[in-house]
Amino acid sequence: MSHDHHHGHNPPAPMVDEVSDFEALEIAVRELCIEKGLFTADDHRKFTEFAEHIGPTPAARMVAKAWLDPAYKKLCLTDSLAACKAVGVDLLNPTGFGTPSDYTDVRVLEDTPTLHHVVVCTLCSCYPRPILGFQPEWYRTPNYRRRLVRWPRQVLAEFGLVLPSDVEIRVEDSNQKCRFIVMPVRPAGTEGWTEDQLTEIVTRDCLIGVALPKPGMTSNVKFPVHKAAKPAH
Amino acid sequence: MAELNTAAPVDDLVAEAANWTPVSLLEQIKENGRVWTDMAADYGVTNPDPPWKTSLDGMCEVLAAGTCSSMAAVEKGWLAGDTERSNLEGAPPLPLLERRWEEDALSETLYQDVPYPERQLLALVHSLIKRGLVKEEDLAARMKQVHERLAAD
Repeated sequence: MSHDHHHGHNPPAPMVDEVSDFEALEIAVRELCIEKGLFTADDHRKFTEFAEHIGPTPAARMVAKAWLDPAYKKLCLTDSLAACKAVGVDLLNPTGFGTPSDYTDVRVLEDTPTLHHVVVCTLCSCYPRPILGFQPEWYRTPNYRRRLVRWPRQVLAEFGLVLPSDVEIRVEDSNQKCRFIVMPVRPAGTEGWTEDQLTEIVTRDCLIGVALPKPGMTSNVKFPVHKAAKPAH
Repeated sequence: MAELNTAAPVDDLVAEAANWTPVSLLEQIKENGRVWTDMAADYGVTNPDPPWKTSLDGMCEVLAAGTCSSMAAVEKGWLAGDTERSNLEGAPPLPLLERRWEEDALSETLYQDVPYPERQLLALVHSLIKRGLVKEEDLAARMKQVHERLAAD
């Protein structure tokens, strides 16, 4: 058989063949910090690897498992640290080397047909990163943080989530000790689904509480970021 | 339990941050640097984040590392006016809350027209320069070296 340079694979994905000033800035400041002893290259590498591998899948799987298994659901609501361990995340030691802000507790907020939870951090941008990944930009903004607690129904509507007036909305404020994920009501049309299928529709937005899961919806919304009229603090 | 009184010190912090003079180097980058969304569109790349984003996140984390809950508690004491910032023993180079609140303030002022995460990077470097942890001239020289290194055959 003749040698085929393509080996039957798809063509390579496009790449950015250009170094921006921002990329050079990130490298330069990191190198100077290491040379000045502000941190070590090894520690930086560990934290970066942590940043590389975290995402919303563990939290999504927790919800999917809870929908299928009443005993696991009870565990989520009564001992969320054990529930996290069941999906492979030790929240008391998520990285194996410690993090500055994730040594914490997580609580699972159970929605009902008449109660909806949504999460914010009014202080900064606390978030259950070991099970949910990094915050979306809008979650970090003073605009979201300040307005959600004042006008939750209206802010949720901006995300496209219009809730009936008889559904109570409860806003939970994260802090350094305690983070939250939302366990939405399992949507209709998912009867007979596997845990993997259910995990796919429990998106990051659903876990924050700015969206509801539904069959066929596996991505998050693009939420415009607004400047705050007043500082958050 | 006493309520955290964030009003005075945080207002001071925000006012101070808002009044910070621009950093010449960062202003140049702000004006001339190509942001990821534009570059990705030009090259047909779909990754929403630039390749340096996780390294930036790692840098923010490691600058506040080892201080978790205990340092956050001390920071809250400072924010409540119970202690001076300069008296915080064992404070990391750039504590978490300080970095985040300065990023908030700078994102609403100097860097409001810069998209995320470029804005996050500029705010972090701004905080480092203003604290004297990194010198602007050293950074400019190192950026030049980095560009030369990355462009080398």
